[in-house]
Amino acid sequence: MMTSGKKITRLKLKGGDQLGAQDLTILSLASLLIFLIPVFYINRRLRLTINKTMTFAIIRMCIQLSFVGIYLEFLFKFNSPVLNIIYLLIMISIACQSILRSSNLKILKFFIPVFFSLLFPFAIILLFFNAVVVRIDNLFEAKYMIPIGGMLLGNCLRSIIIGLNNFYSGIKKDEKTYLYSLSLFCSHIQALKPYFKESIIASITPTIASMATIGLVSLPGMMTGQILGGSVPIVAIKYQIAIMLSIFYAEYFSTILSVLFSLKVGFNELDVLNQNIFVSKK
Amino acid sequence: MIKFESVYLRKNDKEIFSGLNFFVQKNEKVLIQGKSGIGKTTLFKILLGFESIDKGKVSFNGKNITKEYIAEIRHQIFYLSQDIDLKNERVKSLLDEIWEQNPLKNQHKTHFSDLLNFLDLNDIILNQSVKELSGGERQRIGLFIGFLLDRPVWLLDEPTSAIDDTMKKKITNYIIGLEKTIVIISHDDVWKKNNTIKIKRW
Repeated sequence: MMTSGKKITRLKLKGGDQLGAQDLTILSLASLLIFLIPVFYINRRLRLTINKTMTFAIIRMCIQLSFVGIYLEFLFKFNSPVLNIIYLLIMISIACQSILRSSNLKILKFFIPVFFSLLFPFAIILLFFNAVVVRIDNLFEAKYMIPIGGMLLGNCLRSIIIGLNNFYSGIKKDEKTYLYSLSLFCSHIQALKPYFKESIIASITPTIASMATIGLVSLPGMMTGQILGGSVPIVAIKYQIAIMLSIFYAEYFSTILSVLFSLKVGFNELDVLNQNIFVSKK
Repeated sequence: MIKFESVYLRKNDKEIFSGLNFFVQKNEKVLIQGKSGIGKTTLFKILLGFESIDKGKVSFNGKNITKEYIAEIRHQIFYLSQDIDLKNERVKSLLDEIWEQNPLKNQHKTHFSDLLNFLDLNDIILNQSVKELSGGERQRIGLFIGFLLDRPVWLLDEPTSAIDDTMKKKITNYIIGLEKTIVIISHDDVWKKNNTIKIKRW
């Protein structure tokens, strides 16, 4: 394991007798699979036909995470700003795709607006986090940039999906009312307002709810990871608060931007919803 | 004022218009009658820019229905849709929002309450939400908005279908007496009784 000398002394001073988490051998990791035996057995007795899906999901998880492990190792070893930025840009592109895939909107038409609505808040908040909050010298340090960036992206993904879905399906469902508002108000923005409000509320409500209950029942994953990694709890908690706030801001702004940036694609020049933006369900 | 020249439109593989010509002069009152499903409402939607045509020419006051003029055109048209698709809010806040976007020419309180009286509506209705209104109440609130907005062209889609007979007579006479260009789609015979109205049968 590679660690800087500075950290070792600090941890030793604080009386930490163990640095980081204990490594797991493949065999000990595999030992966890033993509990699958009763699961399979009960599934069979109850005739739950999910054994196949379950096995498939577990195998996929292992393969995907192994790959992540390999290229993270690679990224951390080189720790090159350019490489890190490219990695995050690729992640954003993949995020765009999965957003659009699960939102019934056509990928080709919406890719660019969604890409930029993710990129702007993400880049600003990530750099702020590294420069002002953590105060690291190398803003593009892989150790901070990659995991924090990943957490921000993962959460923005969810909120943009909810936001865009809510917005466009809301107008589609309510098209007569939307058009009638257009005829009364003669302003596109004014007619869109109720759908816009609704989509923002729907997309940030889950994060607000989780901020309100965090720590009451479960320990957040990031905190658990940090504590296992050798941080003292109070440091882990500070990071957790910082990341929760950052996630909330990134979600909030990227959802608003995703709706605003997509208006040009979503509506024709007479402000009527384009019907060809939806993936036709077969 | 309103011109449709050899307009063609197909929707869902169904021919709606094939070479339609339709003209309305300024301050003319036109009643359109005909079976449902032959595109009467579509006519209104085209003027408002909600639907586009395949071929032909549509103009409003000499202006084509394009991005450039659409806001101006919509500002001149009061449209009463068949189901009065007002968004569901408290009536009063909805009205306030409409006035905010369209500054009223006549802001007198008495004008406001006179109109409410004329339409047999009372203040209680202002505190209800749109969803709670009956069909007839919604139609009258729709007309109330129209009277106050005072736009020069009216497109009314079945405006009196849920209103009782005495009220119907009062309202139709009043509307036909207005110095406005008015196109009405209606199955109601009450409109026909008036001599000033031009009847178009499709």
